[in-house]
Amino acid sequence: MTRDQEKAVLDLVTNPPPGSELAKAKEFGVDLTLFISTLRRSPSERAQSLSDGARIFEIAKQAKLYRNEA
Amino acid sequence: MKLEETIRILYDAGVEFVVIGGVAMGLQGSAHLTKDIDFCYARTPKNIERLAKALEPYHPVLRGAPPDLPFRFDAKTIASGLNFTLSTDLGDLDFLGEVSGLGSFQDVLGESDVRNVGGLDCRVLSLEGLIKSKVAAGRPRDLYVLPELRGLNELKKKTGLD
Repeated sequence: MTRDQEKAVLDLVTNPPPGSELAKAKEFGVDLTLFISTLRRSPSERAQSLSDGARIFEIAKQAKLYRNEA
Repeated sequence: MKLEETIRILYDAGVEFVVIGGVAMGLQGSAHLTKDIDFCYARTPKNIERLAKALEPYHPVLRGAPPDLPFRFDAKTIASGLNFTLSTDLGDLDFLGEVSGLGSFQDVLGESDVRNVGGLDCRVLSLEGLIKSKVAAGRPRDLYVLPELRGLNELKKKTGLD
């Protein structure tokens, strides 16, 4: 992402134009500021984040199993 | 989930696939998290053979099925079915022969982008394709992610981000 693109992303997510899809997403409850970090990352870095996120699901699942066994 | 490893295994085996679903969303820039990996695969005999061979070492079984249910993810099984939800040593993997709202592998391929994941150029369903498939699937969990996907798509278009 270039500096100009980063600035444009920042402008759009902090102040989405009325009636835009971004404005609708914000109204729906989407945290648009998350796009700043996700779009900064390369697809490989995003893949790593997805794997890390999946590990959280796994830990939560194990914790639930443990609680049920206890 | 072993995302990069799974993609590398399929890639090395010469399997024709497109990454779809939650992982495609994440690779396109969504903040969505998922615990399984969804693929659309080509239904040619050669590709089916390659897919079966590639996954064999990772002990694929039908997810949620009783452990004593006889199941082999071989070429014959894949050819007789279409969509498979599997548990494997690589994690939960879904293989779809068709995607709602898009169609078969060639249609999905036409709606995909090339993304470099772990040094490999692989096909990932585009944001437009994801939006079409989510609209067509129409389940609450699909509709729930539409505002984010539409917003992200608009953001990337307006800023010229790939």
